[in-house]
Amino acid sequence: MNTWSAALAIARKDLSLYRRDRTGLLLGLLLPIVLVAVFGSVMKFAFGGDGGMMKVTLWVADEDGSTESERFVAALRNVSMVSVRPRANQEPATAERLRERVKDGEAHHALVIGKGFGELLSKGQEPPLTMVRDPGRQLEARLIGISMMQAMMSAGDGRAMSWMMGSMMRRQGMSEAGVKRLQASMDAVQNVLGLFASGSDPEVRSESAPAAGEASLDMTSMFMDLVPVQHEDVAPPARPKNLGYQLAQSVSGMTVMMLMFGLMACSSMLLIERDQGTLRRLLVSRAPRHALLLGKFIFCFIVGMVQLMVLFAFGEIVFSIDAYRDPLTLLALSVTWAAAATSFGILVSVWAKSTKQAEGLSTLLILVMAALGGCWFPIQMAELPWYGEVITRSTLTFWAMEGFQGMFWHQKSLTDPVMLRAMGVQWGFVLIAAFLSVRLWRKRFLGT
Amino acid sequence: MTESADLLVVDELRYAYGDRVAVKSVSFACRSGEILGLLGPNGAGKTTLLSCVAGLLPSFGGKLMFAGKSFEPADDAESRSRLGLVPQELALYDDMSGRENLQFFARMQGVAPDQIDAAVQQGLELAGLVDRAEDRVSAYSGGMKRRLNLAVGDLHNPDLLLLDEPTTGVDPQSRNHLFECLLGLRERGRTMIYTSHYMEEVQRLCDRIVVMHEGEVIGIGTTEELAAKAGKPGANLEDAFLAMTGRSLRDEG
Repeated sequence: MNTWSAALAIARKDLSLYRRDRTGLLLGLLLPIVLVAVFGSVMKFAFGGDGGMMKVTLWVADEDGSTESERFVAALRNVSMVSVRPRANQEPATAERLRERVKDGEAHHALVIGKGFGELLSKGQEPPLTMVRDPGRQLEARLIGISMMQAMMSAGDGRAMSWMMGSMMRRQGMSEAGVKRLQASMDAVQNVLGLFASGSDPEVRSESAPAAGEASLDMTSMFMDLVPVQHEDVAPPARPKNLGYQLAQSVSGMTVMMLMFGLMACSSMLLIERDQGTLRRLLVSRAPRHALLLGKFIFCFIVGMVQLMVLFAFGEIVFSIDAYRDPLTLLALSVTWAAAATSFGILVSVWAKSTKQAEGLSTLLILVMAALGGCWFPIQMAELPWYGEVITRSTLTFWAMEGFQGMFWHQKSLTDPVMLRAMGVQWGFVLIAAFLSVRLWRKRFLGT
Repeated sequence: MTESADLLVVDELRYAYGDRVAVKSVSFACRSGEILGLLGPNGAGKTTLLSCVAGLLPSFGGKLMFAGKSFEPADDAESRSRLGLVPQELALYDDMSGRENLQFFARMQGVAPDQIDAAVQQGLELAGLVDRAEDRVSAYSGGMKRRLNLAVGDLHNPDLLLLDEPTTGVDPQSRNHLFECLLGLRERGRTMIYTSHYMEEVQRLCDRIVVMHEGEVIGIGTTEELAAKAGKPGANLEDAFLAMTGRSLRDEG
C-alpha cells in the first residue's frame, strides 16, 4: 500500500463521515451561507446596492405644514445619504414624539421644522429648524449636515444660499454690517444665476449653454463642485454596476473567515481519532504513517473547495458578485486559500494536546486574524501606524482578502503582480506550516 | 517447544515516560501458535509493553526479534502488517456501519482489493454480526462493538494478534463469545498476546502467562508453574498471583 492510496482511502472515509454528520454539515455549509447572506444584505441595504454612500436615518417632524416645508422634506427624501422617517406614506410624527425617540435611544437625530418655516424662507430669512440629537453620533451628524444643505439648496432653487451664508458668517463672528454686505453680494450672484437659469437675458448665456428649461440649474452640484476638479472614473469596466465595495468586502470576508472555522472543525478529527483510539489502530496498520496526515489534508482541502464553490455560487445568485467572471483566477484563489486554511487547521491540530485546546486556540486565532485581516470591515480604508500595517500584513486572512478583493472589486486577473504576491504569501505559509506540522506529527503522534 | 518456535522475542525492553520508568528491562518470548497472557494490576506496564511491541512507542531500550529477525514496526510498514492490534478502546467509527469499518481497515491493512469482500465477510462472521453488518456501529451494543473491535484487529490474518484488555465492560454472554472467538483463532494457528487483570480470563485462555508488576516480569510459565514458583503448588492463578505480588497489591490498595 503506497502513501497516496492510503491517504486517499483516509480522505474518502473522512468525507463519508463528514457527509453523515449533520451538525458538521450545518456548520460547514449552511452557517457560512447564512452569515454571508446576513452580512451581505446588511451591507447592501446600508450602503446601497450601487456602492453609494451609507444611508443614515433622520426623523422629521413638520410643525409648519407649509408648501415650503413640504418641499424641503421632499428634497430631503431625495438626498442619497439620508433615509427620512416617517416615510411619505406613514403618519407624520410630532416633535414631542421624536424627542422621546431620541431620549429612548430609538433615534439619533430628529429634525423639527418649526412654525413659520415657509414664511421666513420665502423672505430669505433664517427659518426655525431644531435638530434633536444624540451628541455622540458625530459621523451621522456630518452626513445629515451635508444632506440638509443639499436639500435646502434644492428646495429653495438656490435662494437659500444668501441667508445660509449670512447665518454661517454671523456664527463665525461677522458683524451685521458685514453680513448685510455679504448677503447683498450673494443676492447679486443669485440674481445673475436666476437670469442664467431662466434664459431671459441672452447676455448671461454662452452659445454652449443648454436652452433654458432643458436642464434645470443644479445648485447643489454647483456648490459641491466649487473647487474645480475634473473627475476621472477608473473603475474596471467589467465590475458589475450593482456591486458595492462593502458588499464585495463582506462576501469575501465572511467566506475567508468561515472557511477557517469549517476547516478547523475538520482537521480536529485527527485529535478525535486519537481520543477514540482509531489513530492507534491506524498507526499499527500497514498504511504509511505520513499518509494519515496527508489523508486529513486531502479531506479538509476537498471540504474547503466545496465550501468555497457553494459560497461563491450563493454570492453570485443572491448578490450578483460576478464570481465566475474569471473562472481560472477564482479557481487559483480558491485552491490557494483552501490549502492555506487547511494547513493552518492541521498545524493547530498537531500542536494541540487536546480537542478542547485546539478549539480554544483556533477560535481565538481565527477571530483575531479575521479582524486584523479585514474580514469584518475594510481595514485597508484605515490609516494604520507602521506597526499596525506590519501586524495586519502578518495575518493569513489579509492575503486571502487581498486576493479575493483583488478579483471581485479590482477585477484583477491571475497574472497581476498583486494577485501573484497574495497567493505567493499564502503558499509560503502552506510550506512552512507543512514543515512544522510534519515535525510536530512525528514528535507528538509518532513519538520519534 | 524449541527456541526456533519463538515468534516474538522481547529482550531487555525498557521504556520511560520522562523520569518515570514504566517498563524495566523486560525479557520473554512468545511462541508460535500460543496465547501468551500478560497479567498484572493496573499500572504494571502491560499497555506500555504492548505499545512498544506494536511500534507505537518507538524510542524504547532493548531489542525485539520477530521470527528470528530484528523487528522495528515503527519504521517498517511490512513489519506492522504482521501484527494485529485490538486496543482497549473501542477503536471504531461510530457513524459507519460494521461492514464499512471492516472495509476501511482492510484497505488500511493493505488487503488486496479483490480479497477485501472475503476478508470483511470473515470478520463479520468472527464478530457474529453478519445480520447487523449494515447497521451503524453507534446502534450496536457494547458486546457487539467489542466483537467488531476484535474482528478489525484480525482482519488481515496477522501473524501475531495483540489484545489489550479486550473484554473491558462486556456482559458475560459477549465475554464468552469473545473467548470462543479467540480459542477458534488459536485452533487456526493464530499467535496472541493477551493482556488482562482478570485472573479467570487469563487462566481459561492462555497457554502461558507473563506476570508483570511495577514494570518488571516477576514470573513466566503455566498456571501450575507459577503456583509452584509462588510456593503454592496446585493453587489457582489468583492465589499464585497474590502470593507473588501480594504485598505490592496491598500497598496499591
